[in-house]
Amino acid sequence: MNRQNWQSFARRNPYLFSFLLLVIIIIVNFFFQHNIFERDTLNSNMRVFLPLIILAAGQAIVILGGGIDISVGSIVSIVNVILATQVGLQGDPQKMYLMMGVALVVGMLAGALNGFFVAFMRLQPIITTYATSFLYAGLALFILPNPGGGIPQSFSTFYRDTTPLGFPLAFIIIAIILLAWGFIQQTRYGRYLFAVGGKAEAAYETAVPVNTVLFSTYVIAGLMAAISGIAITMLVASGNAGTGDQLTLSSVTAVVIGGTALSGGIGGVAGAIIGAVILGFIKNIISFANIDTWWQTFVNAAIIVIALAAPGVIYLFRRRR
Amino acid sequence: MSLSLSARNVVKRYAGVIALSDANLDVNAGEVVALIGANGSGKSTLSKIINGVVVLDRGQLLLDGKPVNFSSPQAAKSLGISTVFQDLSLIPHMTVAENIWLSREPQKWGGIVDRGQIREKTDALLDLFTGTYKSSLRPEVTVASLPSDEKQIVEILKAVSFDPKLLILDEATASLDSRQVERLFEMVVHWKQNGKAIIFVSHRMEEIFRIADRYSVLRNGKTVGSGEMKEVKTKDIVALMVGDKSAESVVERKKKTQQNSLNRKMQLEVSDLSAEGLKGVSLKLHEGELLGIGGLKGQGQRSLLHTLFGDLVSTGTIKFDGALVKFKNPRQAMNNGVALVPGERAKEGLLFIRSILENLLLPSWGNYGFPTHIRDAQKSASDVSSSLSLKMAGLDEPVSGLSGGNAQKVVIGKWLLRNPRLLLLDDPTKGVDVGTKAEFYSLLTKLCADGVSVLFYSSDDEELLALCDRILVMHDGLIRTELAGESLTKSNLVAASLGASQESMQ
Repeated sequence: MNRQNWQSFARRNPYLFSFLLLVIIIIVNFFFQHNIFERDTLNSNMRVFLPLIILAAGQAIVILGGGIDISVGSIVSIVNVILATQVGLQGDPQKMYLMMGVALVVGMLAGALNGFFVAFMRLQPIITTYATSFLYAGLALFILPNPGGGIPQSFSTFYRDTTPLGFPLAFIIIAIILLAWGFIQQTRYGRYLFAVGGKAEAAYETAVPVNTVLFSTYVIAGLMAAISGIAITMLVASGNAGTGDQLTLSSVTAVVIGGTALSGGIGGVAGAIIGAVILGFIKNIISFANIDTWWQTFVNAAIIVIALAAPGVIYLFRRRR
Repeated sequence: MSLSLSARNVVKRYAGVIALSDANLDVNAGEVVALIGANGSGKSTLSKIINGVVVLDRGQLLLDGKPVNFSSPQAAKSLGISTVFQDLSLIPHMTVAENIWLSREPQKWGGIVDRGQIREKTDALLDLFTGTYKSSLRPEVTVASLPSDEKQIVEILKAVSFDPKLLILDEATASLDSRQVERLFEMVVHWKQNGKAIIFVSHRMEEIFRIADRYSVLRNGKTVGSGEMKEVKTKDIVALMVGDKSAESVVERKKKTQQNSLNRKMQLEVSDLSAEGLKGVSLKLHEGELLGIGGLKGQGQRSLLHTLFGDLVSTGTIKFDGALVKFKNPRQAMNNGVALVPGERAKEGLLFIRSILENLLLPSWGNYGFPTHIRDAQKSASDVSSSLSLKMAGLDEPVSGLSGGNAQKVVIGKWLLRNPRLLLLDDPTKGVDVGTKAEFYSLLTKLCADGVSVLFYSSDDEELLALCDRILVMHDGLIRTELAGESLTKSNLVAASLGASQESMQ
């Protein structure tokens, strides 16, 4: 198969590689956790994976549009401390709903700030969001300097035990995200997203509102980060200003495993979700196999480095000949 | 459906460089106007102003007599102006259909794109060029996988799909084969009858004479002539582009140097050199010879110079100083006495924010020992800068504060410190003032007298003619014509660049 055929094959089946990897990982995981397909195990696995899945879906949108958002983890932290401090263990469920709404708005505002800098001020996405990540992380620390706080027990129970129609709650959320992504792909906005990520200049010449599309990707990523923050707060039921720190790198890794090009324009949200599940299982394997947890970070980082380096290595080999 | 568009006294500057100083253009429904001009005369800038990609600094655009102001491509498109871009406005990883209908996708309920309709409409458009496709150009193929002529066709169809009132064809025929050009011209005639206005930007004289009704010639950002196509000949157009009446006369040159240099030994022999943008070039350069390279911009000149400097992967043989060489990187070329003055001074030639001293010594730090004998280095730098009469506040000033001409002197100075035997020049006088140019010319003459061989690409035909005894004209990655002696005239040079045959000039 020549290179062009490969390209169009890869374009038609962007999730193939990640899907194969998922199958392998599940098989490996099966050796450590024989009851992996039972409903309770499945649910307990998926509810741990869910925050990253949601976060990676948002990250995928930004990367598809040609950018990257390093601040999503910090947005998760902000949302976590807002919920943990403002509602509290004995809080009124009514207040929890209100604060969840506030969290969504905060997430979108944080995303809008990123988007403003990147789309309208034309700043480098990676530098900008790296800087704002400290801004948001600092705010989270300001709100909750020491770990603590909490949310009403009913919410964490709900998150843990809800299995609508016999499926884990995470499956329902994933289905909603996939439906929304399927819809977006069918719309004009979806086309704009791929066009802006693919070649922004050509998109501009074709009368695509490039800046608005770029801006919107960061707002979406901020919103998804806020939802992810709500999920993780329900999971751990307490507040910690460092909650999201580990998640940023993982969200980028998940997108990369999912077949989305870091240069933008190719890939999709479904791949990112598969990627997040793969990372979750890798984490499982690492803890079952009694390997030090820093391997988790190592694996995450290695995947990104390899994805970044691959085109350069291929070029080097071509040049040698 | 009638429309008339006029550009009046348009001025456009890019970061201090004047792209257009007084451009004018009129086009009416039902006619084809050819926009003609040499390299860098501002054709592309003017078309980009008309289609809203670039905003003009001064002047006016009149649409049907009313002033309009396009601040974006959207604005121009909504008024029925559509463009076939020279460097294509296609997204590589999207399909043909997605590219053509981008930003105007037909929608069903809920904003969902109607794929069936897009397919049908794309098929209908693709039928326009039926029979000229080499591959199976289908709506669902990705653009990246298409050959360049079919990419160009997709770009044309995309512009047409807007059903524009004014269509700008910017070098739309450049990568098409003759059958495809034929088909395009049939369509242009049809569009004309339907009352569309068409601006045709091209370098190909033969095509301009076939299809255009009127012409407008740009020279150095200024409109210098316009009129009816049937009242002029190729000769007249070339004369307008060239700009003076001496177009036919042989420029005065010193014949003596030519005799001398040709008897000397061969410094560089290149045969069948291919690289990206280069399709098999062979040339010979004598010791102490100043060999010119001409042609339109982007015909492989840059690739040739960079390949010789070991900067691009290539095939073919290079014989330098009598020995076969294959430079793997610029460092090897540099150590063998080759120097390149690159085309983009600010990007490739200089460390813009660093001092003049550092820039001058960058290739030669190794000659000053370890630890560096900074005083020796400073002395060399000040020697070379005074020999070049570099105007500066001091060696420690950053290069970014220098004028274009003085900055270029720094680029040349850094190579002179290494005493090169082969100097590769990529349009070295671009953006350089007249006085510096003159100094530069005498420097080149002196270097050649000292036995340095120079390969000199310039977009300025005048200086090529004035300095060189031999000029190789490049077209599409190949050396198309060699001009020397009697054939070395300005009109021959321009005609060879445009690819016009000698007969059409008579």
